[in-house]
Amino acid sequence: MSEKTRYVVIGGGIAGVTAAETLSVITENATITLFSASPLIKTVSNLIQLTQTLETFDVEEQSFTGLKELNNPVQVIHTTVTSLCAKDKQLFTADGKVIEYDKLCICTGGKPKLISQDNPFVIGIRDTESVQTFQQRVKSANRIIIVGNGGIATELVHELEGCEVIWAIKDKSIAHTFVDPGAGEFFMEYVNKVKDNTQEGVSKRLKYTTEETNRKSPVQSNVMGSALGPDWATRLQIHGPQEVSHRVHIEHQVEVQKMISPEQFQQLSMTQTVLDGSVVESSTWPVYVQLTNGKVYGCDLVVSATGVEPFTDLFLPGNDFDVAADGGLKVNSKMETSEPHVYAAGDVCTACWEYSPLWLQMRLWTQARQMGCYAAKCMVAAAKGEEISMDFCFELFAHATTFFKFKAINFFLLLVILLGRFNGQGLQNDYEVLLRVTKGKEYVKAILQNGRLVGAILIGETDLEETFENLILNGMDLTPFKENLLEPGIDVDDFFD
Amino acid sequence: MRTYNEELKFVEKSGPCGYHIRKGFVDNMKVEGYFYANKALEKLMFDELKQSCNSKGFGGFLPGMKQIANVAALPGIVGRSIGLPDVHSGYGFAIGNIAAFDMSDPKSVVSPGGVGFDINCGVRLLRTNLHLRDVEGLKEQLAQCLFDHIPVGVGSKGIIPMTAQNLEEALEMGMDWSLREGYAWAEDKEHCEEYGRMLQADPSKVSSRAKKRGLPQLGTLGAGNHYAEIQVVEEIYDKYAAKKMGVDFKDQVCVMIHSGSRGMGHQVATDALVAMEKAMKRDQIDVNDRQLACAHIQSVEGQDYLKAMASAANYAWVNRTSMTFLTRQAFAKMFNSTPDDLDMHVIYDVSHNIAKVEEHFIDGKQKTLLVHRKGSTRAFPPHHPLIPVDYQLTGQPVLIGGTMGTCSYVLTGTDQGMVETFGTTCHGAGRALSRAKSRRNLDYTDVLSALANQGISIRIASPKLVMEEAPESYKNVTDVVDTCHEAGISKKCIKLRPIAVIKG
Repeated sequence: MSEKTRYVVIGGGIAGVTAAETLSVITENATITLFSASPLIKTVSNLIQLTQTLETFDVEEQSFTGLKELNNPVQVIHTTVTSLCAKDKQLFTADGKVIEYDKLCICTGGKPKLISQDNPFVIGIRDTESVQTFQQRVKSANRIIIVGNGGIATELVHELEGCEVIWAIKDKSIAHTFVDPGAGEFFMEYVNKVKDNTQEGVSKRLKYTTEETNRKSPVQSNVMGSALGPDWATRLQIHGPQEVSHRVHIEHQVEVQKMISPEQFQQLSMTQTVLDGSVVESSTWPVYVQLTNGKVYGCDLVVSATGVEPFTDLFLPGNDFDVAADGGLKVNSKMETSEPHVYAAGDVCTACWEYSPLWLQMRLWTQARQMGCYAAKCMVAAAKGEEISMDFCFELFAHATTFFKFKAINFFLLLVILLGRFNGQGLQNDYEVLLRVTKGKEYVKAILQNGRLVGAILIGETDLEETFENLILNGMDLTPFKENLLEPGIDVDDFFD
Repeated sequence: MRTYNEELKFVEKSGPCGYHIRKGFVDNMKVEGYFYANKALEKLMFDELKQSCNSKGFGGFLPGMKQIANVAALPGIVGRSIGLPDVHSGYGFAIGNIAAFDMSDPKSVVSPGGVGFDINCGVRLLRTNLHLRDVEGLKEQLAQCLFDHIPVGVGSKGIIPMTAQNLEEALEMGMDWSLREGYAWAEDKEHCEEYGRMLQADPSKVSSRAKKRGLPQLGTLGAGNHYAEIQVVEEIYDKYAAKKMGVDFKDQVCVMIHSGSRGMGHQVATDALVAMEKAMKRDQIDVNDRQLACAHIQSVEGQDYLKAMASAANYAWVNRTSMTFLTRQAFAKMFNSTPDDLDMHVIYDVSHNIAKVEEHFIDGKQKTLLVHRKGSTRAFPPHHPLIPVDYQLTGQPVLIGGTMGTCSYVLTGTDQGMVETFGTTCHGAGRALSRAKSRRNLDYTDVLSALANQGISIRIASPKLVMEEAPESYKNVTDVVDTCHEAGISKKCIKLRPIAVIKG
């Protein structure tokens, strides 16, 4: 084969960059092109493999030169792809070029679901640009309402300082997207704690921003930059005008009923709900929010962090993609979409293969990386006409993240590890929970079905991740151990050595 | 159920640091049990037994003494079931238990619990000719550099690329594969047990799931107990033996690598446990504890396990060899030199979790035995035919890794060990309880009420095993090594102190 295979990846986020890097490593005779709508791309660094399926990493934003090239060079083009013709294997860009490909991987991620479109007081946080807007706006904000209960909302509530925060969540407990109510309770202790700002180190995120983003870029306003990485808030200063660290008020089991402008507020002669302990004396707010529990709060800003939806707008017209109910491009066990030679990875796709009983799709960093890597392998295998079997990382759901960073005795990161059916998902209440909790230290929850470990939530320095992963994958009958599995006097990791 | 005092009648002190466990302590004991312990360690053993009597035993966890005795009840066992000073509760066999089975007795068994899940988990020590002062200012960078070199990602980004075909070959060939691929030096093999390759390995006996679990982990350290450490020589006890190992001066820099077969070993062990439970019914093998699932050595299940175990052992050697390669690369880069010029030879490589066929004398007669070593290290004496030429006069080097971040030791094998313990000594510190301390303050009230209305049964952990001993003294590595030295089953040679730790 003397002709070079032309691989094209769209998206400068984790999935796209991982796919391009992996292609660079494993291809021999190929050209690799990465399209990024944002002048910055995300690269993974400090990858730490915690266990077989678990890894943590830092995400750095880099200019294009930061891309790791190990074998074949990756050409990174900063422009917006405007449309796709899958039939002719052609891409069209904003600057009028037509690009032909042999294998294409769509990694365009998602766009935030906004509770209200076109309201200047509502912002969604998803990409770097929106974080900067947010940083500016929060400086003069006295009160912010955060809507949403996922990772970004949870982190934001913790990181926001110097203003009042009303956190509206639709669940009974915080961080519900990730963890169960018990762990939410475990987290509660941290919500109003004084944040520790003594962390050292330079800001990873702001390294390039001022110069790069002020440059007029051809990015169209309807194209999102790439999503935030884990630890995105760690070194950001998100500070309002008040001299307090934290004041968080949580409204449980509510959603936003409607947004009300000051004029409407006047007209309807509504009254706002008094926030206990509020120090902000303001009778008028730029915007009011009515919650489904009837309460009405005024605030300076509403942050919509209710998750993302797959960003597929550019690709659907003129092509024949199967789209899943959640809006993602359906992919099979080889990461192929319904259009030949078109693959998808990361938030933009919906995994439609038959899942391992211990895996589920969640639109998370870890999965973006795993899918990007695996999609690259699938593309190469297909180009070479080789068989490929599904990567082992799709055997077991595993995610590690950190929440609520505090200096306890030493620098203490609250490591949160989720394994398998960590919330008993899909087990129809036919399971048992083993629990061990020490306030402020650790939260260990193991989920057993028919005596077998099928999932776990590990928070804090438990050192149990590898053992639990092994026990889940072994599918061993643990009936004789039951609650003694978490007996604090026994080191189970040693026992199963 | 007997009381604690009734139990004590079966346990009898013997010598300065040992105890006999008499037949009758548990049912069906074919031979006696024996364990080594000094004053501090024996208290732990007896406390554990007392706790278990008070709480009428609990869960699947038995005290070390009971586990040693249950192993003594397995068919075909010869000599004694032996617990080393670092013995503690493990699946089936205690960690730190040795048991040998007569290969000529058709009733003899092999048990995966006697090997452990992390098959051929072991320690390798590399020397350098560097001095502490050479690395002092660089150790952070060096640790980072080692880290950078450790292969990352899901199987593809590693410096050591591995395909399914590669894996098959590695499982069959062990370090010979590494040598062929250029990741090892020929002399590395000399300084490994079994020359880094178990010949009875048969990758076709390893399930495809085990291979799938093994593939992405090749060349990675692992969590928990697994680590690489940059160490310096703190004390030399035996100048002659140390010199033979290339260790000449205090503060000499060494690198210790502690890793095993990880997920693959777990799957091989699990597969075998399932197969053997069925075989036990068929062959009517009775054991005292369900965790002691086993099969006749000559049965299909027994042979399949031994072949798969040998493959997993080969995998572990390739793993440690890959990391040796990466360590050499990193040092060469940092010191702008070559691994040769830095004298980065493998001092030795020991296996902690393995079963091997060996020749031993039982009652004056030479016998071929299957020796299970779980959480224990082979320690052959001087002049033994299976140890390399370099160590013929000193005895086999034995590497003892402390708990991560504490001291490590190099010991040598002795004739007395050959007689008493099938040429075996301890493997390191027992780690139980040390980290458990901070978890004592268990409190469920708020959390439980939050979880309550889900309609799910919730079992909460509460401490049952409360040791009177202060946790930090629990199975301290120095106590363990000193007890082995005093008992004469191994001899102290070198003490090492860590200066940088690299976690997988």
